[in-house]
Amino acid sequence: MSFHNEHSWLLKVRNLTKVYGEPNERTVELTGPEFGTNICPETESIVACAGVSFDLFPGEVLGIVGESGSGKSTVVKLLYFDIEKTAGSAWLRPYGDGKTNILEASGQQKRYIRNHLMGTVYQNPRDGLNFSFSSGGNIAEKLIMAGHMHVGNIRERAAYLLDKTEVPVRRMDDRPAAFSGGMQQRVQISKAIANNPPLLFLDEVTTGLDVSVQARVLDLIRELQQELGIAMIVVSHDLSVIRMLTDRTLVMKHGRVVESGLTDQILQDPQHAYTQLLVSSLL
Amino acid sequence: MNIVEVHQLTKTFELHILNGKRITALSGIDFAIEEGEIIGLTGKSGSGKSSLMKCLYRTYLATSGEILYTAQAGVIDLVKAKDHEVLALRRAEIRYCSQFLSVIPRVPAVDVVAEPLMRTERNRDLARARARQMLEVLGLPTELWDAYPVTFSGGEQQRINVARAIIARPRLLLIDEPTASLDTRTKDVVIDLIRELKQDGTSVLCISHDEYTLGKMADRRLHLSGGHILSNVTATI
Amino acid sequence: MIENIKYKKSYNFGFIDESTKKEVRRKLLKAVAIPGYQVPYSSPEMPIARGWGTGGLHITLALIGRNDIFKIIDQGSDASVNACNLREFVQAMTGCRVTYDTTEATLIQTRHRITEEELREDQLFVFQVPQPEPLRGVERYEYRTRQMHGEADYAKMWVSLYESFVRHGDIMLGAGYPVKVNGRYIMAPSPIPRWDIPNLHQAKTLYLFGAGREKRLYAVPPHTTVEPLEFEDVKFNIERFNGASCSKTGYRRAFLDELFLDDGSKTFVINDSNFLDKMEQGDPIHQFTNPYLDQLV
Repeated sequence: MSFHNEHSWLLKVRNLTKVYGEPNERTVELTGPEFGTNICPETESIVACAGVSFDLFPGEVLGIVGESGSGKSTVVKLLYFDIEKTAGSAWLRPYGDGKTNILEASGQQKRYIRNHLMGTVYQNPRDGLNFSFSSGGNIAEKLIMAGHMHVGNIRERAAYLLDKTEVPVRRMDDRPAAFSGGMQQRVQISKAIANNPPLLFLDEVTTGLDVSVQARVLDLIRELQQELGIAMIVVSHDLSVIRMLTDRTLVMKHGRVVESGLTDQILQDPQHAYTQLLVSSLL
Repeated sequence: MNIVEVHQLTKTFELHILNGKRITALSGIDFAIEEGEIIGLTGKSGSGKSSLMKCLYRTYLATSGEILYTAQAGVIDLVKAKDHEVLALRRAEIRYCSQFLSVIPRVPAVDVVAEPLMRTERNRDLARARARQMLEVLGLPTELWDAYPVTFSGGEQQRINVARAIIARPRLLLIDEPTASLDTRTKDVVIDLIRELKQDGTSVLCISHDEYTLGKMADRRLHLSGGHILSNVTATI
Repeated sequence: MIENIKYKKSYNFGFIDESTKKEVRRKLLKAVAIPGYQVPYSSPEMPIARGWGTGGLHITLALIGRNDIFKIIDQGSDASVNACNLREFVQAMTGCRVTYDTTEATLIQTRHRITEEELREDQLFVFQVPQPEPLRGVERYEYRTRQMHGEADYAKMWVSLYESFVRHGDIMLGAGYPVKVNGRYIMAPSPIPRWDIPNLHQAKTLYLFGAGREKRLYAVPPHTTVEPLEFEDVKFNIERFNGASCSKTGYRRAFLDELFLDDGSKTFVINDSNFLDKMEQGDPIHQFTNPYLDQLV
């Protein structure tokens, strides 16, 4: 088995930048970890993230860790099209053989990518699920978007996915509001993997859950990742989540990536001062 | 053929939270591992043995020097290698077995051992069957196979650790104190398993304090002191 | 101007001023050019409240000519209060002949039914529409429904049908069943019963839809594909009335009204009043045919 070819990446991101407000040419260079702020002193615009670049290979789990204001959530929100970029490019191998900048795709194309090539699990289930549909219906929405028009088949697949995420199948027709927080997250996960996307985004998915519930959801995610071989980007402020799930990690502060490396290296041999601080703060 | 060649490897830690204090763990390390060789790594605690191993596994980023590893696909400098290349090597060729089992919570012992195989072998049941075989050979009581290792004794955990490192037949095995906390009979089992790997062409770097283990296994010994190699001698059996 | 028969004042022919008529006609042309697409229009104020048929009236008054013969029905009946009021208004504003006879009329305005008798190419059929947006039930924001139509992103609509099936064992839409027009836009056909839906498909007549309150016009040109939304294993079907037939004529192949008699018993009668009259008098009729009707024994 050869080591991964440079060109076998799944997702390539270069110079991802998001600035709110009205920046000038100096805004990006006047903000960041050396300045200790995201806010440009000249224009008061906010640099949520700047210059973020990384590659993701198939089957890899990449963690993005940082505190509030680090820009970690902004990065994934840009990549799954919840917000518009200020600058930067991203290429996804299964889309146009990786030659099209997905951040500049049309609304229609983005919808296709979001439905077929990406799955997203949000911190708040209300962002990822439609609470007026049943949980099976939420999964059905993705399947229908992919062209499945047979109710029997749709229900079978939805039942299979819910079972995989340990949601009782007999509750398939219940609405998400009838579920506990942990179970709502599982339904989100089933929905996210419905069309077998090669890439999954997990944005603080267990933050706010009870600890035992958090543990079970994380276990589930890890098992699914091993079984399906799906590439993931896991955003968390919690290093123990990062340790549990990820192969590689980006450490972000004030909108910039301050360190990037293998997760065990980040945890055992942190180079950057901020990373050392984070690691030493692990409870 | 050398599977690993280390040239002038140096590792210095810079602790920013202690005002940039520097600690040198390794200094000017030069050695090589031949294919199919078992090298015993010895030295007092703090001499840099674990650091050397972690540099080879890329858990530590070497400060300077080269670690040339001959992978199946070609020679690569592990110091400069990209993250995804190292990950691919870890999945396929290089295994690291630390002194203590880093407990993955809520995963039964069988699955912990089978995990390296699950990636390459799509048939998960087959992987688990082999894991059970391994656990049986290592003498882990059957009732523990489906239990969570977090509750096991040191010796039981170590057996799982070793089983997991060996099961997927790595090309390079980095193993830290494989026989500490094991009784003599199990020590022999582990030693035999490692020597079996050697027959298949696996190269092994093994940290050990145990003279019994080193005597039965090591082709050569590397002795570290204060971050330097003190001696690099062929074992006399 | 017209010296009308009802009021002391003179009004422009058809009540609406000529420039507004021109605007409505141009919007109708656009609607015909894009079958099923909702075209916004001026929806001028009328001496009739919103929600009482102003949309249908706009189309009628913009298109009607002096020689037209006008018919208007309200859930199949020519003689309901609202049908009568609108008829009188149109007649007063145009001086046109009015009729109850479906085959005699040249322009027919309807509330929530298609006639049982088949319409011809020389007739115009105008629907009054309460809610032109078929996606309103699943998406309350106008900017999003517009986007959904623009991108043909109809998954939510399908999910609502799936939910209905899952919850009740069938798609429980009695009136205004959503249809896909010309393979592109999902359209609200106005609250006509399922019975009438197949008669939109490949029809000889131009169908025009007006929603005055919501200010939208849309159209289904003749010989256009109109398909009710259905799954591969959950299909559209029309009402069967449990095998009942009209108590006055014994006829089964027409949409029936369910009536309660004074003694509490139920009876069924043909809903289309003109059709019922013709059946009772033994006059010749030429009814719509469609495969769903043929399946009905």
